Amino acid sequence: MAKVSVLNVAVLENPSPFHSPFRFEISFECNEALADDLEWKIIYVGSAESEEFDQILDSVLVGPIPAGRHMFVFQADAPNPSLIPESDAIGVTVVLITCTYHGQEFIRVGYYVNNEYPDPELRENPPPKPDFSQLQRNILASNPRVTRFHINWDNNTDRLEAIENQDPALSCSLPISCTPVKGLGLPGCIPGLLPENSMDCI
Amino acid sequence: MKLLKPTWVNHNGKPIFSVDIHPDGTKFATGGQGQDSGKVVIWNMSPVLQEDDEKDENIPKMLCQMDNHLACVNCVRWSNSGMYLASGGDDKLIMVWKRATYIGPSTVFGSSGKLANVEQWRCVSILRSHSGDVMDVAWSPHDAWLASCSVDNTVVIWNAVKFPEILATLRGHSGLVKGLTWDPVGKYIASQADDRSLKVWRTLDWQLETSITKPFDECGGTTHVLRLSWSPDGHYLVSAHAMNNSGPTAQIIEREGWKTNMDFVGHRKAVTVVKFNPKIFKKKQKNGSSAKPSCPYCCCAVGSKDRSLSVWLTCLKRPLVVIHELFDKSIMDISWTLNGLGILVCSMDGSVAFLDFSQDELGDPLSEEEKSHIHQSTYGKSLAIMTEAQLSTAVIENPEMLKYQRRQQQQQLDQKSAVARETGSAASVAGVVNGESLEDIRKNLLKKQVETRTADGRRRITPLCIAQLDTGDFSTAFFNSIPLSGSLAGSMLSSHSSPQLLPLDASTPNSFGTSKPSTEPAAVAGTRPAGNSVNKDSVNATSAPAASSPSVLTTPSKIEPMKAFDSRFTERSKATPGAPVLTSVTPTAVERLKEQNLVKELRPRDLLESSSDSDEKVPVAKSSSLSKRKLELEVETVEKKKKGRPRKDSRLMPMSLSVQSPAALTAEKDTVCLSVPAPTLKLPMPGPQKAFTLQVSSDPSMYIEVENEVTAVGGVKLSRLKCNREGKEWETVLTSRILTAAGSCDVVCVACEKRMLSVFSTCGRRLLPPILLSSPISTLHCTGSYVMALTAAATLSVWDVHRQVVVVKEESLHSILAGSDMTVSQILLTQHGIPVMNLSDGKAYCFNPSLSTWNLVSDKQDSLAQCADFRSSLPPQDAMLCSGPLAIVQGRASTSGRQAARLFSVPHVVQQETTLAYLENQVAAALTLQSSHEYRHWLLLYARYLVNEGSTEEGAAEGTAASHRAEPPLPASLHRMSGTARHPKG
Repeated sequence: MAKVSVLNVAVLENPSPFHSPFRFEISFECNEALADDLEWKIIYVGSAESEEFDQILDSVLVGPIPAGRHMFVFQADAPNPSLIPESDAIGVTVVLITCTYHGQEFIRVGYYVNNEYPDPELRENPPPKPDFSQLQRNILASNPRVTRFHINWDNNTDRLEAIENQDPALSCSLPISCTPVKGLGLPGCIPGLLPENSMDCI
Repeated sequence: MKLLKPTWVNHNGKPIFSVDIHPDGTKFATGGQGQDSGKVVIWNMSPVLQEDDEKDENIPKMLCQMDNHLACVNCVRWSNSGMYLASGGDDKLIMVWKRATYIGPSTVFGSSGKLANVEQWRCVSILRSHSGDVMDVAWSPHDAWLASCSVDNTVVIWNAVKFPEILATLRGHSGLVKGLTWDPVGKYIASQADDRSLKVWRTLDWQLETSITKPFDECGGTTHVLRLSWSPDGHYLVSAHAMNNSGPTAQIIEREGWKTNMDFVGHRKAVTVVKFNPKIFKKKQKNGSSAKPSCPYCCCAVGSKDRSLSVWLTCLKRPLVVIHELFDKSIMDISWTLNGLGILVCSMDGSVAFLDFSQDELGDPLSEEEKSHIHQSTYGKSLAIMTEAQLSTAVIENPEMLKYQRRQQQQQLDQKSAVARETGSAASVAGVVNGESLEDIRKNLLKKQVETRTADGRRRITPLCIAQLDTGDFSTAFFNSIPLSGSLAGSMLSSHSSPQLLPLDASTPNSFGTSKPSTEPAAVAGTRPAGNSVNKDSVNATSAPAASSPSVLTTPSKIEPMKAFDSRFTERSKATPGAPVLTSVTPTAVERLKEQNLVKELRPRDLLESSSDSDEKVPVAKSSSLSKRKLELEVETVEKKKKGRPRKDSRLMPMSLSVQSPAALTAEKDTVCLSVPAPTLKLPMPGPQKAFTLQVSSDPSMYIEVENEVTAVGGVKLSRLKCNREGKEWETVLTSRILTAAGSCDVVCVACEKRMLSVFSTCGRRLLPPILLSSPISTLHCTGSYVMALTAAATLSVWDVHRQVVVVKEESLHSILAGSDMTVSQILLTQHGIPVMNLSDGKAYCFNPSLSTWNLVSDKQDSLAQCADFRSSLPPQDAMLCSGPLAIVQGRASTSGRQAARLFSVPHVVQQETTLAYLENQVAAALTLQSSHEYRHWLLLYARYLVNEGSTEEGAAEGTAASHRAEPPLPASLHRMSGTARHPKG
């Protein structure tokens, strides 16, 4: 069983303008002290069509972690609009929060994100080139999709040291290797599949 | 009979593979398939039993849901005590759950329905051993073992007292093992497998007793489970799926000779589950009819793949009742209520049925005593049903029984003490941390959370701890780890780690001291910490932090955390096993006195203020954990009488008792009359023994044997000293009795009566004529060519016998032991002949021969050590490998400090300062101890820390440069990320 279980992720400042940072208040529980830090990441799915548009907004180490309940706020800057395909700028996409321990991902929390113009005028007649400064980001906070993975928590210290040694190199390679984002058990990742009124309930 | 199908008990349509009713009958667990994981749900029983409760919105139906299993859960079983729930699943794991008592309701994050968990059940152990799906788990009747079986063809017996220890792996099945049952008297365990066999194993040696195959020869096809069952009287074992004349049966196997002459016939498809009623029944006696007392009988429920359920009484030839079409799919599991009148049945179709019988239908259940009596008379013993009355009288046949008895008694005590505490502590911790509400914390979390940079420039957030865990196995983890992590007193460690043995440990003084710890078990010992009785010198009236919670008290900058800390601690201590109850026979005077102390001394603020200046004379209670616990209890009783006192005081109470103001002391003298003025220190002396052996070193193997008064020559009794070094042996005789001996690779020395100290080379040559000590020996120690003698008058001498020089000459320990009930817990002599004294208050001093001073080299209560966090600067290869006298003295307190510090949310700057100061101290201490290796280690660490910290703070230009050089080149993406992180917009 996972030594760490996520109790809650609260989406702060939602909805918010497109350029404002993401803020997630993450509470988790750890049932025995962890020897090493957890690594949390926020990944913004730029386009449902392709993983190449995924952006890792930020990654942060969290520790030390004794047994108990803990919470922290994970803040990351808004995605870089220039990396988002224009056709995908407006509509529904996904933001992922992942957590890894010793380089192994054990939880992935996915949220649907709806980007739209709050201004009805703009909504009716969107500019040909998306105007990100006018966009509002709305995270469907009430409906996270949580996927848990079974990982090996019990590394002996030797191996652990080895991993620590490799850490810089490892994290360097991560942006490239860590892109198996898409499917993530999020059916209906494609914008059109999500009924529009589901956003209204927020 | 009443039949009910509570539709609300479901796994959202997914199959339910297992059901088990809690022994107290208030709840039941189901296990099965969840959304994309295994699922264990704990349900409230009362809505099943009573219609009113079912309709009442305020009565929760589901108590807790655990989605932690990664795959389908095949079996859930409560321990007989009801304390634990074990679940086994397709993820090859067995999880053991225990209820967490104080963490409030929560939801399962990400589960579609936002259902709150009313009760919190926490996984306390995960048992990994099976290489395939776990099909069944079973607790032994006395809860000491947990058995699990799996499709990997094995049965594993786990030590339920010490998870995850495996006692045995039973191999022998050649097919998937799908069911387990324990003999109610604990002598056997039976397993049934797809290999068409049922095997009975002995618990004595975990070997196969018998393998029964005949009734299963015809068995084809597979059932998901084969849950067999043993009758409560132990006479019969009933298998699941067996065949008789091509008809599916449940085979009855007699314990006597494992005969298979009878079976339950009638089901049209394979029997998946058999479950005996836990009760033994006898015929209902009708009023007036004086029927002859009939034979007791058992009751058994049989569930089958044919979706029907039959209930049998062993006194009837036909089933009592058969219910067809109860479910749409195969029956998977059955559980009886403890009173034997109800059963829950679950099915693959995802529903559950409840059957309620009346006593008229089943008969009069025998009481537990009567049942136990049957066991006693049939088997001579019973593990399962031990009533309080029998505990003391039962014949103990094996160590298991003895252990069980002890545990049982302990539990009773625990329960009582828990109740006692419960009444005292109503304070709710939930939602309040550090005196702030969770809401307040959340508002400021982003600003307050500590963010640092690691050596390689990554952001690192220290999360805010909002709750400690209160699981039993956690109780030694954090709070105790601070005083203990560095503790070398092995016995102290052991007394902490094995609470059930506490009473024994406490009576063996684990170190010598200025006074023998009082070992009277009665109330006197309980009311005062050991050793306190000889509290002769007047000590500062302000009380001092004690070993139990130094981290709480040593950071004066923050006061608020105390509340939370204390309440947490007390909450946790509730879960700590092994606290004996003292029904207080306390003289009221003592109690009154303590109350005075409480009022006078224990305002926490006072305490904090005083803690800084009382640093020097802080005599910390070396009271063993037992007396501490006793004290705690004692305090509680005091507290109860004084209503309205803040709860936190009670935590501090035991500490204050170790130090008392002169006024208080005189008062105490009057009441207890144990205080003896002792102007001079007197260390304990070893008494003469008939013989003893001392291992000097294991590599090369060297040991010393001493035999006193072996031979008499002309009326003089001689003592023999024998030394064996790698097989080479020499011996000599001495004229007086040898009190103590010590050896090193260079010398062997013995201290005899009449204050004589003799020194020999390791080859047996006498190096010196006997040395006459100034007073009788207390402790003797050798390292290399150095010999250290600590006398009973608390003077210390060190000689270099090879160079024939004195290193330390009769130095008194008065200055370091002065004025308190401290004891020397450990003595060390370094390779360079520097003596180091570890005191019971956690301080360690070394004697600096060149300056003739005692230098403080280690202090467990040192706030610097508690706050210092230099982890990021540790070299990649394990820095803690650095060994030497300093490491020995300080122990390996690696993480506790960091954790304590962060729990106080110490500002980073403060932590930096303390870390620097701490590292300075370490460097200086290593230097004084002339431990070059450690000096190098700490100096390097210090330098590295300076460099690292320099890079995160502005300024320290060299530091930045150095760390930049050390940093590997980052790819562009990471540069961007860290760039954004450094200049947050919000």
